[in-house]
Amino acid sequence: MKKTPVDSTKDNRFELLRELLLAEDRDKFEALSKEVILREKLKNNVSPLVDEKILDLREKFPEYFGDTITQTIKVQIRDSQDEVVEALYPIMGKLVKKAIVSEITKLTESVNKTVKEKFSIQEILKRFIRGKKNDADIVLQEVFEPIIEEVFVIEKDSGLLSGSYSRGNIADKDMVSGMLTAIKSFAEDAFSKEGQDLEDIKFETFQLSIQNFKSIYIAIACSGVLNASFKEELSDRIHNLAEIILRDRSFLSEEERLNTLIVKELIEA
Amino acid sequence: MIAKKVLLVGNFGVGKTSLIRRFVLNEFSEDYISTIGVRVSKKVVSYQNETIKLMIWDVAGTNGDEKIPKAYFLGAHAAMFVFDLSREETYLTIDKNLKMVRDLSGLKDITIVGNKKDLLSATEIDNVIQKVSVDIDLITSAKEGDYVEDAFMKLTAQALK
Repeated sequence: MKKTPVDSTKDNRFELLRELLLAEDRDKFEALSKEVILREKLKNNVSPLVDEKILDLREKFPEYFGDTITQTIKVQIRDSQDEVVEALYPIMGKLVKKAIVSEITKLTESVNKTVKEKFSIQEILKRFIRGKKNDADIVLQEVFEPIIEEVFVIEKDSGLLSGSYSRGNIADKDMVSGMLTAIKSFAEDAFSKEGQDLEDIKFETFQLSIQNFKSIYIAIACSGVLNASFKEELSDRIHNLAEIILRDRSFLSEEERLNTLIVKELIEA
Repeated sequence: MIAKKVLLVGNFGVGKTSLIRRFVLNEFSEDYISTIGVRVSKKVVSYQNETIKLMIWDVAGTNGDEKIPKAYFLGAHAAMFVFDLSREETYLTIDKNLKMVRDLSGLKDITIVGNKKDLLSATEIDNVIQKVSVDIDLITSAKEGDYVEDAFMKLTAQALK
């Protein structure tokens, strides 16, 4: 017969006591353990799905939320225009300032160069002898030199081109003459009250001056600053050209000859 | 090279611009015609061993109701009056319209063209010819290209007279 251990009774009692005292805790521990295991399992199952969704969101964020965000930003900008302007103002100001400073620097250099050249004793003496132009005119004319870009001698009624000069290549000159005549007629008909003629068309960088005569008109496109003395001089030259053409009308039917005359009287003069 | 200004006149929608498009490739945007009432196109043609530069002024509508600057008609060497064979209103007052063009341009002879022949049968065209109070010079179709070249050659001949 097997011998009972010395303390077996005691141990059994202790075990019994432990069961009696810790039964509730054990149940709680087991429930907790099950919950942790369940969470672990759930985590293992859900994690890849969540990662996949995050990746999808990251990739397609603009598609999913682009419109909403744009709309929200628009509304915010609209509702807080003052704040936006205040935020942008310094940046814009700096950019504009930078551009202006750069242009002014170029202009200053150009003016300095011209002043240096034109205000030498020799030049002052030359001007004194020649008279006419004032100092500001001379500096402006040098810095923004006016250039004759195009010249058209056009029959007034028909709009047919008799002769021309061009610094560069422009669209078909015959068609330009026709359309210019049409536009001129349209403007004169629409705005003129006493049969007045259209004389100037201004663009951003150049000006089209029109001198009207009885049967022809001469249109000249110039770039640069057209100061009073240049205009006066140009007007004199145009009148000289018109006088030559109208005295010898054969120029109107000989385009090449008239083109040479235009260069001689307006460009080289 | 001789240059001549020729006019194309007639009511809205008779096919003046289409005729020019058939005949000319070099042209300005059509926007001009709705803006200032005219568009200028250019075509260099050969006629009886001579090269002629035709500056074609396509004048928008000529039935007297439109406000077109009279200056568009000045200095023209020839004119073509176009009407739509399929629309009676474009040729009913042809006498009055032709007189207006003659008065403004100082031209005596005007080439008269009935366009859009592709829309009518031969019998219908005959009926229209009977109805129109003046002699028609050419019956054209800008769509099919029929007699378009002939119409402009007649205009050229007239400009050279």
